[in-house]
Amino acid sequence: MSARQVAIVAGVTTAFGVRPTTWSEMAQEVGAALFREEPELRSEDVDSLFVGAAEPERFAFQSHVAPLAAEQMGLRPDRILQRTELACASGQSAIRSAYAAIAAGLSDIAVAVGIEKMNLPSMAEANASMGCVMDRAWDGPHGATAPPFFAMVAQRHMLEHGTTEEQLAAVSAKNHRFANTNPTSQFYSKVFSREKLARLPLIAPPLRLGDCSSMTDGAAAVVLTADENVRRFTETPAWIRGTGQYSHFHNLAHAGSLTEWPGLTRAARGALGQAGIGIGDIDVAELHDCFTISEIVEYEALGLCPPGRGGAFVEEGRSDVGGDIVVNPRGGLLGCGHPLGATGIAQAVEIFGQLGQRVPAARQAPHAEWGLVHNLSGSANVHSVMVYQGGGT
Amino acid sequence: MAAESRPRKLPPSDEAARRSESAPPPPVASAAPPAPTERPPASARPPLPFLLDFFPLEGPEHTRLSAFYDELRRRRFTTTRCSGCGQLHWPPRVACPACHSESLGWVELPTTGRIYAFSAVLAGAPLGLEGDVPFAVGLVDLDGVPLRIFGRIDGRPWPELHVGDPVRVVPYDLPDGRAFYRFEVVP
Repeated sequence: MSARQVAIVAGVTTAFGVRPTTWSEMAQEVGAALFREEPELRSEDVDSLFVGAAEPERFAFQSHVAPLAAEQMGLRPDRILQRTELACASGQSAIRSAYAAIAAGLSDIAVAVGIEKMNLPSMAEANASMGCVMDRAWDGPHGATAPPFFAMVAQRHMLEHGTTEEQLAAVSAKNHRFANTNPTSQFYSKVFSREKLARLPLIAPPLRLGDCSSMTDGAAAVVLTADENVRRFTETPAWIRGTGQYSHFHNLAHAGSLTEWPGLTRAARGALGQAGIGIGDIDVAELHDCFTISEIVEYEALGLCPPGRGGAFVEEGRSDVGGDIVVNPRGGLLGCGHPLGATGIAQAVEIFGQLGQRVPAARQAPHAEWGLVHNLSGSANVHSVMVYQGGGT
Repeated sequence: MAAESRPRKLPPSDEAARRSESAPPPPVASAAPPAPTERPPASARPPLPFLLDFFPLEGPEHTRLSAFYDELRRRRFTTTRCSGCGQLHWPPRVACPACHSESLGWVELPTTGRIYAFSAVLAGAPLGLEGDVPFAVGLVDLDGVPLRIFGRIDGRPWPELHVGDPVRVVPYDLPDGRAFYRFEVVP
């Protein structure tokens, strides 16, 4: 491609959790953190702002959030200002949009921020908001939300491939262990052994509480720029080498096989193909573990293991430090929580840290050169993938 | 197979209606459906404000698919089929996603099928459904048509459900006169 080479040059994540703070206050907080983290960055440098926010209308009763976020963060973008909404992938959408704008020469320095406030006084209202991600008129009245959908994925995977509850728990135990190296995670300092996970209550059988990511408040932001601007900020950028995406259904009637996610295979092929590498070259990956079963199906759809072998892949430690690939070293959505719009940005912050060898040793992927970020949205009907490379230009 | 004895035109879009103002009136369906059944009094209010209520607005002033809900009130389960390419849709539509035709007709669907996958909502139910917890939901393969539809599954506690269990479609009425459907396990 003749487009400019774009990289993430700085990134921050606020504390994730059930937080006594509003959407706007988190925008201020993440803005302050970003300027503190990157002293080289000045407000007037930032010509564009992309705001990943999934459901501020429902959770914060606020729309037109892009200029609100700009004002809260102390930014006055003069080239591109927009919100990106793709449910659980809203944050990655912000990064992809910033990447596209910079690569095309329509922006020079952009911020991609993700902000979500999800915890409300009424959990039933918050759960109704999550239900809106589904086809509201046809699947919604039946009570369709994410847990029962991914529970059906788990049920079919167990039926077709013999996957076990213990293998599901192995995903959760790994990601919660990693979350204990990450002070911003929702479940920092909480121990989740496989034995403890097996005793947690069922939410949507066969999924238990520890198989599900949480309702989380949080924000994250990254700075993107290109070519000669990159070295102004860092010697260890995360270069965006490829992106891919595929959307093939929305109503649950069109999900097809629940246990094969060809949309992810196709999105990854696009991103890896653009980067000119294969999945075996990836050293570290942030995969969308909204539920434990998701990470298992994702191993398979990405080609990290044969179809049906995802349970064994995690059980044998092949997605852990010392294995084939380090998956979700930040703690994943299971350990960090899942503030919808912030998740994709926080994953990119982790890859930026991993490729720069800046994360704690307990979760650092050795000699990490290539990183991959995956988000699914809704009922795994959209898959978005980005491939990053560390080091020189 | 789907019975197709009662083809009826969808109501036209506003644009189509304007275009056809000077045209002859559309052909009258050969087998006109019976008059709508009487609805409960207007005093039966929706249980939730619209933005918190998942049940759709069903009347012809809100949707071009109001016939679907009228048929449910008559205990018939229907959807649209494309008159151009023949594709059977779920959910019912006003334009075909396969050939982009806007010429669609209503067909009756089979009301029996088998559970492909299921789970149950034991916690985290949306507003308005918390009182129903625990309840089962699942994907059901309808008999004789290539449709796998998501829905609530009543009639048996979730621990006693199995993949492959036969179910039937059960239309039901909401207190305010709207209608919807569920599945029920066939004993």
